[in-house]
Amino acid sequence: MKILAIESSCDETSMSIIEDGHIDLGTVILSQIDIHKSYGGVVPEIASRSHAESITIVLEEVLTKANITMDEIDAVAVTYGPGLIGSLLVGLIAAKTIAYIYNKPLIPVHHIAGHIYANNLVKKMEFPLIALVISGGHTELIYMKENYSFKKIGGTLDDAVGECYDKVARVLGLPYPGGPSIDKLAKEGNDTYKLPLPLNDDSYDFSFSGIKSAVINLVNNEKQKGNEIRKEDLACSFQNKVVEILTKKTIKALKEYHVKNLIVAGGVAANSAIRKSLEEECVKNNFNLTIPPILYCTDNAAMIGAAGYYAYQKGIIADLNLNAKANCNLEDLL
Amino acid sequence: MRYLFIDTSNNLIISILENNKEIYCFNSHETNQTSSQVMSILDEAFTKTNLNIRDIDKIFVVNGPGSFTGIRVGVTIAKTIGFCLNIPIIPLSELELLATTNTDTDYNVCLIDARRGYVYGAIYYKNLNPYFNEQHILLSDLEKEYPNNYTIINTTDKIDIVKIIKKHENDEPINPHTLKPNYLKKTEAEENLDAKRS
Repeated sequence: MKILAIESSCDETSMSIIEDGHIDLGTVILSQIDIHKSYGGVVPEIASRSHAESITIVLEEVLTKANITMDEIDAVAVTYGPGLIGSLLVGLIAAKTIAYIYNKPLIPVHHIAGHIYANNLVKKMEFPLIALVISGGHTELIYMKENYSFKKIGGTLDDAVGECYDKVARVLGLPYPGGPSIDKLAKEGNDTYKLPLPLNDDSYDFSFSGIKSAVINLVNNEKQKGNEIRKEDLACSFQNKVVEILTKKTIKALKEYHVKNLIVAGGVAANSAIRKSLEEECVKNNFNLTIPPILYCTDNAAMIGAAGYYAYQKGIIADLNLNAKANCNLEDLL
Repeated sequence: MRYLFIDTSNNLIISILENNKEIYCFNSHETNQTSSQVMSILDEAFTKTNLNIRDIDKIFVVNGPGSFTGIRVGVTIAKTIGFCLNIPIIPLSELELLATTNTDTDYNVCLIDARRGYVYGAIYYKNLNPYFNEQHILLSDLEKEYPNNYTIINTTDKIDIVKIIKKHENDEPINPHTLKPNYLKKTEAEENLDAKRS
């Protein structure tokens, strides 16, 4: 089964042709990152405008890349949420139009389900599993008993981890996006600044606004005292605390749910310190860890096509009235 | 010749014309549901006229000005159909569409609210010839341009779709890849950045 998948929930216009939920026949990702850099973050209206300008160009490119015609496509999968509503709408309207023209099933895919299924493009996912989804918009721990069954066991109460990285990077005067900037700088520094371990409790929830404020206050205090900030040390201290709490709660989830398989997904899964920490813990505990290559970590349509295949197996099909949703739960369409 | 007309910029209007006669028209001011409803209306248009989307020879789409999100819905549908089925696309202005309203004055002043005292506005002679070109402008500034003997038009209640299509029927079609919304206005973030740079 060949699925045309469309993803436009934030600042990447992406389309992909995925066969049987795991073979990537061709993926095109048009990133708007250079457009948004001047603004220090994604500007929703600018993102929507870019999607609308490039949507058919990306469609033509993906068909060329996969060397396929529309008649050979069996279904259309699309991210319907969560995300920036104006951005989501462009991909969703294109998907509905294509499904209508060619009379193909329309499969609605939750963005987080997509991130999780990015792993299926690397290696067939084995169940039960725990998924740690970390990105600019999400920080969630999900338990999956079997294919396309999701139980959210924890999530961020405020900022997403990637969002926190962006804000801390801004305070340190580092370029957007903050994740790679901090990750790189942290390697040159030492953990010398005292920062709190955020939401260090028995739950599976996360909170990153406290540590963000702690960094901002620390920078302000040092400035007032006339002390210079050792940026590389602060980057390292901050990253260590974030990595520590993510690792701690993820490993705890695996143990308490008696699960052997861990998958990591989302843009922040590209972070080297997080990868290293989870790899070490998984080796120690004999857990199987899968992290997709960076191409599949950041937003892309291949993951939507992979998830869409399993959604379709479960009978999840939308009609032409499908609407985009800025906020929605993974469990909603099950 | 069969034409598909799409306007989602300020309303939800879907129309099908056969030999310059409207054989289907849906026109609603209710735009809260546009993005979820529009494909079903399109489907109804073809079902009721016993036509297939492949029977369409040209697509006329209003690409602005108006609600940014609304414009993108119509433009995305038109681009996608145009690209997939290789159907020529001709973009139209919402302000010119308003100007097709039949009045007994020499001029039609066409206005769309753009908030904070601004409008998207243009002034046309009766025959759709522009007298004052479309702009994002303070209403108080546009009012200084008002000619004698005009009517203000700010709804699509009595528009004449056949009239605007007849005028643009033979326009050069636009490649779907280059069809863009006509917002008439930069985003606030761009305006702020421009201000900071100058």
